[in-house]
Amino acid sequence: MEACCDHKQDKTSSGLKKVVIVGSPNVGKSLLFNHFTGRYVTVANYPGTTVEVSRGKAKIDGVSFEVIDTPGIYSFSPLTEEEGVARRILFKEKPSLVIHLVDAKNLERLLPLTLQLIEAAFPTILVLNMMDEARRLRIGIHQKALTQDLGIPVLETVLTTGEGLKELKTAVRHLTGLEAESPSLRGTTVNYDGRAPVSLEGALARIGESLAGEYPISKRSLSLLLLKGDEEVRSLVKKQEPLVLEIAEALASELKNHLQAPLEFEIASSLKRRAARISENVCRTKKRSWRSDVRSGRWGEFLSRLTMNPLTGFPILFFVLYGGLYQFVGVFGAGTVVDFLEGTVFEGFLNPFFVKVFSRILPWPLLQDLFVGEYGMLTLGVRYAVALILPIVTFYFAVFAVIEDTGYLPRLAMLLDRTFKKIGLSGRAVIPMVLGFGCDTMATMVTRTLPTVRERIISTLLLSLAIPCSAQLGVIFAVLAGHDRALLLWAFVVGLVFLFIGFLTAQILPGERPSFYMELPPLRWPKISHVLTKTYVRVKWYFTEVLPLFIVASALIWLGQLTGLFGFLIRGLAVPVRAIGLPAEAASIFLMGFFRRDYGAAGLYDLVSKGRLDGVQMLVACVALTLFLPCIAQFLMNVKERGWKTGVGISIFILFFSFGFAFVLNQILVRLGAVL
Amino acid sequence: MAQGPVPFSGEVTCLPLSSLPVNQKAEVTHLEMQDPQRLKKLIAIGVLPGSPITLLQRFPSYVFQIGWSQFSVDRGLASAIYVKL
Ligand SMILES: Nc1nc2c(ncn2[C@@H]2O[C@H](COP(=O)(O)OP(=O)(O)O)[C@@H](O)[C@H]2O)c(=O)[nH]1
Repeated sequence: MEACCDHKQDKTSSGLKKVVIVGSPNVGKSLLFNHFTGRYVTVANYPGTTVEVSRGKAKIDGVSFEVIDTPGIYSFSPLTEEEGVARRILFKEKPSLVIHLVDAKNLERLLPLTLQLIEAAFPTILVLNMMDEARRLRIGIHQKALTQDLGIPVLETVLTTGEGLKELKTAVRHLTGLEAESPSLRGTTVNYDGRAPVSLEGALARIGESLAGEYPISKRSLSLLLLKGDEEVRSLVKKQEPLVLEIAEALASELKNHLQAPLEFEIASSLKRRAARISENVCRTKKRSWRSDVRSGRWGEFLSRLTMNPLTGFPILFFVLYGGLYQFVGVFGAGTVVDFLEGTVFEGFLNPFFVKVFSRILPWPLLQDLFVGEYGMLTLGVRYAVALILPIVTFYFAVFAVIEDTGYLPRLAMLLDRTFKKIGLSGRAVIPMVLGFGCDTMATMVTRTLPTVRERIISTLLLSLAIPCSAQLGVIFAVLAGHDRALLLWAFVVGLVFLFIGFLTAQILPGERPSFYMELPPLRWPKISHVLTKTYVRVKWYFTEVLPLFIVASALIWLGQLTGLFGFLIRGLAVPVRAIGLPAEAASIFLMGFFRRDYGAAGLYDLVSKGRLDGVQMLVACVALTLFLPCIAQFLMNVKERGWKTGVGISIFILFFSFGFAFVLNQILVRLGAVL
Repeated sequence: MAQGPVPFSGEVTCLPLSSLPVNQKAEVTHLEMQDPQRLKKLIAIGVLPGSPITLLQRFPSYVFQIGWSQFSVDRGLASAIYVKL
């Protein structure tokens, strides 16, 4: 392959030939990736995005390759950031081979992407996976005819059993040895003039002739994307030859005047017609019976229907929340495991040890405090990080990974879409919201996968305000343990705030209403290896991004106390704190709460253990703390993701709202004479 | 939305997917073209004229099967798909 100058090569690039796996979601890409790479894998965010991309090394007959797994895509025109990343990988990584992996039983619907890959002149092979299911449905695919129709190699696999893998590896080894221009890899072209009254082909030829620059895809494909008005490709061409862009724009508007339907549609229809013709030619379906339950087995489909039917779906959701979140994360993780780590390991063993060591090596009490004092970096910072946060966050991410791997999340999204529309979001936002119960900071980052700015702002606000993170949840469960009515009331009140503020924001914020579409993959058993990898990657992120902030926050708190600034701020905060019916010393909890949301929550826990709060006060404190300003990490994330104005605006709003709301709540409860 | 104009009707009657009875096999005839964002989404998931389609559920969201895949869409998208029996 020739060296490339105008495309940035990736840092991890090893000079190895690259094999890129593409395909729609849930066709077995990660399975294939694992078959190829085994242990030598790195999972990292693609530069500048939150999208995770796995890279690994594969060895076939002694030759090494770099294999890249990409996020699922449906077509060559990306709709979300994730799909954008998949295409960017194709554009930037200069693949020696692109493996288009498809679900064999959906061949006709997935062929247009194959045709687009061929058109873009990527050295492509088509791999028909899930042949076991295709056979069960009595769909026969004439492999030779398909190879002939497409002009590229076609292979069949069953990746769950490893069938066809050997042939695939041989093919990869052989094909990456060929030059991309060799005739065996020159595929078919689609004619777009099918039924259109004006010549799209003519326009394509015009643009193609004018293009002279160096591009990662064929001129034909580039011209097509230019006509469609693809932003990324437009800026790519604008940089090199702005004149061609003008030509393309003129041609596009001329075409628009003559075509009945949008260009996008005409092009997709041509691709679809071609795919249908090929599929007719090569697929032999013995019995054209249509039964939705063959898809994933009778039981899988039955269960799937149960999760989607509102009558059974909501009880199932409740069961998942109760079993997974409350019992496993709350009671076991935040209770049993944290008690053991905090009480036995830290209080009983590590903290006395730290104190002993530091009082010996640092004779100055002031510096001792920094490390091992009440808010010391080791005795508080590391203790909270390792003994409190690590287990809760790990348990939560493990549960989330299981739920994610079963395919339940899209069903949850479809169940809640209607409700979420009322608060200006679509069902898609369910995923960051559920993740927020683990870590709001991470979830705020994930809101990037939402298609519109409006949805991102609303979900950032709601995450900061009304979604408690797992660290907080753990403490809230502990504080309100034994006060079932208070716990229920807390959940009800916070839920109400979530809906009410979401509803109001949706009324106020301008912008287009979101629309919702999502594929529902068959339900399946979670794979241990998937769950472990996903949990590990997230916990690692949490620790590298958040642990340093713990330490810094401890130092800040130390400094604040030293200079008296904290005393001043706490005295100031004591006013609203007393106004919501709490003792003045609770003020320090709120201030700590900003530096780490969970410090605040844990401080509350201490206050409760000392018996300083009654039931109503506990509830009001928990509500106020849940709603109160996000922790400093999330504040920084809000500013980073949404910009200064929105990030700071959200925080100021939350500051006033949380105290105002807690005040009203306290008044109501006290007036009613509630005992909780 | 559902009672919008129904072009291309000729001898067969077209109706939006959102009005199709559940579990009734149908075929996509055309798409509502007004909203380009909507259109793009439908194209991406492979809903195009000629595709056989079956509605599986309409509440709380629309669920349909096309080929061997199932998708969930909201009312807006479901009523942008026109089908004939
Ligand atoms: N029956 C069957 N299932 C498969 C096959 N290949 C993959 N799967 C399953 O399809 C699901 C999706 O696979 P995954 O690799 O996560 O897909 P990705 O989203 O494309 O990365 C997993 O549950 C796999 O076990 C196959 O050949 N036959």
